[in-house]
Amino acid sequence: MSRKPVIEFKDFNFRYKTQTQATLHDISLTIYEGEKVLLLGASGCGKSTLAHCVNGLIPFSFNGEMTGSLKVAGEETRELSLFQMSGHIGTVLQDSDAQFVGLSVGEDIAYALENDNMPRSEMLPKVYNSAKIVDMHRFLEQVPYNLSGGQKQRVALAGIMHDDVKLLLFDEPLAALDPMMGNFAIELIDRIHQDYGKTILIIEHRFEDVLHRSVDRVVLMDDGRIVADTTPQELLLGSMLWEYSIREPLYISALKQAGCSLQMAKDITDVRTMDLSPYEQQVRTDFEQTAVLEPKEPGEVLIEAENVGFGYEQGRPVLSDVNFKIRRGERIAVVGKNGAGKSTIAKLLCGIIRPTEGQIRFKGEDYTALSIREIGEQLGYVMQNPNQMIVKDMISEEIGLGLSLRDRPQDEIEKSVGEVLKMCNLYEMRHWPVSALSYGQKKRVTIASILVMNPDVIILDEPTAGQDYRVYTEIMTFLEQLNAEFGKTILFITHDMHLAIEYTDRALVFSEGTCIGDDAVFKILSDEDIIQRAHLKETSVFTLAKRLGLPADEFTEHFIKAERRKRSA
Amino acid sequence: MNNGFIINLIPGETFLHKLSGTTKVRLFFVLIIYLIMSFDIRLILPVFVAGLLGLFSLKTDVAALRYIIVFVVAMNILNIVLYYLANPHLGELYFGQETLWFQFTDHYIVTYEEVWFLMSRLLKMLATFLVSLVFILSITPSEMAAGLYNCGIPYKICTVVELAFRYIPDIYRDYQNIKVSMQARGVELDSRKAGVIKRLKQTILILIPLIITSFDRVGDISNAMDLRGFGKGRKRSYYSEHEATADDQKVKIVYLLIAVFDVLYIAAKIIYKIPEVWYPW
Amino acid sequence: MKEKTLIQKFLGTWNTKTIVGVAIGAALFGVLMNYGSIRVFTNTSLTTAMIVPVIVGALFGPLPAAAAAGIGNVIADLIGGWGFWFDWSIGNAVLGLFVGALPLYGAYIEDGIFELKHMIIYAVVVIVGTALAFGLVTPFFTYLWYGGELTITLYQGVVGSVSNIIVLLVAGIPVLKVLAARNAKASNLRRE
Repeated sequence: MSRKPVIEFKDFNFRYKTQTQATLHDISLTIYEGEKVLLLGASGCGKSTLAHCVNGLIPFSFNGEMTGSLKVAGEETRELSLFQMSGHIGTVLQDSDAQFVGLSVGEDIAYALENDNMPRSEMLPKVYNSAKIVDMHRFLEQVPYNLSGGQKQRVALAGIMHDDVKLLLFDEPLAALDPMMGNFAIELIDRIHQDYGKTILIIEHRFEDVLHRSVDRVVLMDDGRIVADTTPQELLLGSMLWEYSIREPLYISALKQAGCSLQMAKDITDVRTMDLSPYEQQVRTDFEQTAVLEPKEPGEVLIEAENVGFGYEQGRPVLSDVNFKIRRGERIAVVGKNGAGKSTIAKLLCGIIRPTEGQIRFKGEDYTALSIREIGEQLGYVMQNPNQMIVKDMISEEIGLGLSLRDRPQDEIEKSVGEVLKMCNLYEMRHWPVSALSYGQKKRVTIASILVMNPDVIILDEPTAGQDYRVYTEIMTFLEQLNAEFGKTILFITHDMHLAIEYTDRALVFSEGTCIGDDAVFKILSDEDIIQRAHLKETSVFTLAKRLGLPADEFTEHFIKAERRKRSA
Repeated sequence: MNNGFIINLIPGETFLHKLSGTTKVRLFFVLIIYLIMSFDIRLILPVFVAGLLGLFSLKTDVAALRYIIVFVVAMNILNIVLYYLANPHLGELYFGQETLWFQFTDHYIVTYEEVWFLMSRLLKMLATFLVSLVFILSITPSEMAAGLYNCGIPYKICTVVELAFRYIPDIYRDYQNIKVSMQARGVELDSRKAGVIKRLKQTILILIPLIITSFDRVGDISNAMDLRGFGKGRKRSYYSEHEATADDQKVKIVYLLIAVFDVLYIAAKIIYKIPEVWYPW
Repeated sequence: MKEKTLIQKFLGTWNTKTIVGVAIGAALFGVLMNYGSIRVFTNTSLTTAMIVPVIVGALFGPLPAAAAAGIGNVIADLIGGWGFWFDWSIGNAVLGLFVGALPLYGAYIEDGIFELKHMIIYAVVVIVGTALAFGLVTPFFTYLWYGGELTITLYQGVVGSVSNIIVLLVAGIPVLKVLAARNAKASNLRRE
């Protein structure tokens, strides 16, 4: 059987005009019609550049030097215009907000048709049909500000479904979605693949989440080269994932942890269906042998929320009846789907908005009398995007800003900044300009600029959003250290369940404007009802435990602790 | 959520709302030209009344507009008071005559001509404001882009208007977040606690991250647009622009008549040297 | 790469990126005009919006800067509901042309270049441009279109000019300095 190639790279190299080194080296890759391929790799491995070559943004928008050959649907791309390329390749970009350029769902879906100067009467049925494929046809009038990330992404997908494009390219489709939405997205991509016979190319570094539905092939990239072009099964069996900073699926780690040898297994790509019988005994023995560690001594209560409610308008509460306590030294995950009240509670704690009902107490005292600035000395908030926080061009100035704005004497500022620099492992870089820093280092600078005011508690909004496993580990190890060595209490607002189970002791779960769960993460994640209501998803370690008939929460705890031991070793 | 913006993103249900963007934009332009060229109370008053009727026909929540209306009216009244204080003889300047009504001091006399001139000017400004307000309340940004395009403005410019609206709420949200995070770090924006220059300097700390994150979007947005064929041809169509209805046709007659009148009046003004401001006596 | 001629630098390259840049600039202008004012007295305030065309000019050239300021002003009127005052929009656009001229005298913020001589030129251009835009262009149109008392119209132009000059110098120069520093290529980094 001869399959028709949709994309053919042959000895392809690419170098950006602004760079001295090539970004892509010796790429040879063929993707055939009807295939579903995952392009896997850590940040900076060249996968986005490869994607830009596929959809034509290279060389259209990014100048550079290309050698070798790249054919799309049999035609050499350097002879095609971007518009001709768009007829073959449909792209869903990573940032679902930036790519939503219309002012309503209908308008955004119609965008390509508008640019084709299609009469409106022809446009309407096409838009409706495309919207129907992604189940957004009842929202055509909606404005983007009312849509979730997942809905925006579906709109983007509908917008490229009009033409008979041969290949759909998804650039990090999971980057901005909560866990359940991420699953929906993967299911939708799979459905389009099955029902419409489209060739699919997914670019991601979240391997486990993509494997929620099967893929035919995985292409692994590192440092601008293809290092593997194989099946998911082969990758899971080998050690390449670790080598190239891709996170291994948790259930695989758990099985390996327990000492199981997976080499002989037939299909291990899905924890729900794989044959577990050969490993049952081994996992059970390992689980029972390990002693459960004693819980941490609880510290004093720092923050207490009692019956807290908030509404912008009378009679329309955004948040109601929230109760919780935060103790010194705790690490807490604040989870829940978008709009459930997570950011409202963060704003309340920072004093940007104040409770319309109930009370928030800092160390036993009502915080009403404190100004935003005074609260900033007890509790600091670190925004998701470091660029939204950094104002100075030198690191030490940036970190000292909070103190110089408070008119503290210069020698005191220097002393505090020096201490914080050491705390954050930035001391050696104190005279560097901000522009020289990596994402992870910038993140540390923003955290340092909050720590300088010496708050007991810091709140971090999605500290690792969009980052690959390497940067994720860098940031989280640093935060763990802040907690363990300096006793800082940390609240994480996050969608990332891996983060929650690995790095926090407790989770506050928000749904429909109230706190529906306050318990150890292991416990929360074993509660079906909470999982559904808060848009979380069961982790694969849970699924594994359940299938083996082990207590899911204890098994997860056991697994995480073993992981932590391994990390600190 | 509309973020407290006056312009709507979702089209409304009244007569004016339902007109096509093209009709609304054209009507607005001929009326603005009409108001700019005329300083004649006989011409301004009907438009002023029409503007009021238009405003009420939109059935919007007037309470939400109260602040703006009071502010604009107050500013314009202040303006004519200042005019009077600067020159109590404006009437003579325009009409070549003066009829004393009463006087405050030797210098500040009040003449009928002066009052007439100032009232004409106030009415002209308020009519302009009303027409603009009705236009803003009745149109959506997408309809405006489509309407401008159909008035012969290149679509690349129309796109700027539409895109700007698309990202205003996002930028506004960023602005709020950055501002608060800076306040927590110690920026003082309270006018009771810090002087103007100090606050201006501290605002820099908000502006820098806001500017950087706002323009960080440019690459992604332009990629998304390029990939969906923006700039492909010289012409473009608009999803938000519905075909002309019977009502559009009727209004078309109205704005065409006004347009013809605009042209004739301006020509007449130049050829026959009609006095700038009309004065009956 | 061939050095662009002065005219090319002035016009800017009107590709999709520039169009989006102008749109983002106009949006930012609208937001700052309505929400980013610093109150002086009850009815007078300094607006920081005028910084925006400076940045658009630095990134894309003077003509895009003028477009961002002019359209931004119209958009500010649309979201605020103040009514359209095209005499001021035109003034803002003219000013945008001046303050956005940075690339014409070699201040390339994107490459980290903004030195003392650029600051001095910038300051002069700001003062001349503002005087021309709000002292001459806007009053001219106000007078032509809406009639008015010339002294007061001019006086209002002067007040507008002064507050704009203050913002453009006191806030504008530090913002440009930081942005240039943030874009500068780091060299000689040593851990110490």
